[in-house]
Amino acid sequence: MSEATDESAFGEGSGAADVLRGERNLRRYAYGVAGIVGFLAVWWAVAGTQPPYILPGPASVAETFVAELRSGAMVEALSQSVRHWAPGTVAGTVLGVALGLLMGWSPLADDAFTPVVRVLRPVPPIALIGFAIAWFGINHAGAAFIVAAGGFWINFYATYGGVENVSEELVEVARSLDVRSGPGLVRKVVLPAALPEILTGVRTGIGRCWMLVVAAELFGVPGIGQTIVRASNNLAVDVVIAYILVLSLMFLLVDSAFRSFQRRVLAWQ
Amino acid sequence: MAVDPKVSVEGVGKSYETADGAVEALRDVSFDVASGEFVCVVGPSGSGKTTLFRLIGGLESPTTGSVRLDGDPVTAPSTDVGIVFQEYHLFPWRTVSGNVRFGLEQQDIDSEARERRTQELIDLVGLDGFEDAYPSRISGGMKQRVGIARALAVDPDLLLMDEPFGAVDARTRDMLHEEVLDIWRETGKTVLFVTHDVEEAVKLADRVVVLGTEPGTVREIVDVDLPRPRSVTDESFVAHKEEVRALIGD
Repeated sequence: MSEATDESAFGEGSGAADVLRGERNLRRYAYGVAGIVGFLAVWWAVAGTQPPYILPGPASVAETFVAELRSGAMVEALSQSVRHWAPGTVAGTVLGVALGLLMGWSPLADDAFTPVVRVLRPVPPIALIGFAIAWFGINHAGAAFIVAAGGFWINFYATYGGVENVSEELVEVARSLDVRSGPGLVRKVVLPAALPEILTGVRTGIGRCWMLVVAAELFGVPGIGQTIVRASNNLAVDVVIAYILVLSLMFLLVDSAFRSFQRRVLAWQ
Repeated sequence: MAVDPKVSVEGVGKSYETADGAVEALRDVSFDVASGEFVCVVGPSGSGKTTLFRLIGGLESPTTGSVRLDGDPVTAPSTDVGIVFQEYHLFPWRTVSGNVRFGLEQQDIDSEARERRTQELIDLVGLDGFEDAYPSRISGGMKQRVGIARALAVDPDLLLMDEPFGAVDARTRDMLHEEVLDIWRETGKTVLFVTHDVEEAVKLADRVVVLGTEPGTVREIVDVDLPRPRSVTDESFVAHKEEVRALIGD
C-alpha cells in the first residue's frame, strides 16, 4: 500500500498526550530493566550453589556466548538453521494460506477437504520425521519439510477464519462493480479483507517454525538445534543456554521486523 | 406512462425457508419507475423493503414475478445498478480515491482517464482534499459520500439506495439530502431510495411507494408534486407526510 494518510489533517496526537505517553514508556522500560536485573541476580545466586553441569552462572554463559561467536561456530550454526527454517516457513505459509483461501471461499472445496483436514490436523510435525527422511533425506530439505508442516496449519486456520469473516456485502459491492470471477473476487476483496487475520497467522507461524527448528534437527541435520542437543549430551549446559539465547534473539529480531511490516501494510486499520 | 419504464417490478413475491417454515417477506409487489425519476420506497420494519432493495439490485432472486431493468430481467448484480448500503460497506483497506476507483479498474479505460473520472466523482460529492484518507478516519456522512461516488463511478442507469442516511446525524442527513438531489439533477440518473423515514421520503421523491407489513405489499403510490427545495414545515408538505403516515398506519 503506497498511499499514505496525511496524519496532520486529522489532528493526530497533542503535545500533552505525547509527554504522558513518553513518561509511561520510560517507566515501562525502567521496570523492564529492573526485571531483567532481578532475573539475572536470582540466576546468579542459584547458580552459585550448583555445579556448572546443573546450572552455570550468567557470567560463564556470557563467556561461552562470546567464545562461540568469535570462533564462528555460532554464526555457522545459525546460518545452517536458517537454511531450512526460511524455505520451510515460506512453503508452510504459502501453502497454508492458499488452502485456507480455497476452503474458506469455495463451499465445494470446504466439503471435499474438511474430513481430510480433520484427520491430518492432529499429527504433530515431529511424527513426520520418518517421511522427511524417506522423501527428502537427512538434509535441509527434510528439515524444511518438518518446519513447513508446523507452519502450515497455523496459516491455514488463520486464513480460513479470516475468509469466513469477510462481509458478504463487500463481495456484493464488488460484484455490482463488475468483479465477477471467483479469482477476481478473491484477489480484489477476500484477500485484502482477510489480510489482518492472515498476517496474524503468518506472524504466529514464523515463531512456531523457528521453535520447530530444534525438533527438525533431531535426526541429524546441522544447525542450532543439533548444537543444543549435542551440548546437552556432553552436559555442556553453558553452551546449551548460549544457543537458546541465539534462538530467542533471532526470534525477537524476526518477529519485530515482521510486526513493523504488518503495521505498515495494515495502516488502514 | 407512455414511455417504457426504467425499472418495472411485476408481481414480485419473496419467501424464505426458515426452521419454523416459510416466511413471506413480499407479496405481489408491482410498480414502475420512469427514467430519470426519483422514487422512494417507504415502509416500517417488517415491510420487506430491504428484501425489495436486494431483489432490484440482483443480490437475490424473487420467488414469484420479476424485476426488469429496461425490459431485461435482473438476475445478478451488474454495473447497470449502483448500490448504496446503509452501513456504507466501503473497502476499508482502500483510500477514498481507491474506493471510488474500484469499479473503474474493471473497465477498459486508460489510467489517465480513470484518474480524471475518479477525481471528478470525488469533487462531485465534495470530498476533495480527502482523497488519501482511509475510511476508518472519516465521518459517517463522508463515508456515505464515498459510497455514492463509488456507485456512480461505473455510470449505472439506476442508483439504488437502502436507508443510505439512516446512520448519520440529523444535520448531516439534511445536507446529504440536498447533495443527493443535486447529484440526481446533475447526472439525470434514475434513483430508487428505500427508507423507513416518511419525512425523508416526502422530502426527496417524485413518487412514494408505500409498503404495508407482513407480508410486504404495496399499499399505495403517492405522487409528491411539490416544488423543490421543499420545506418540511410547509402546509402541503405536512399534508403529504400525514397522508403517507396514515397509509402506513402508525
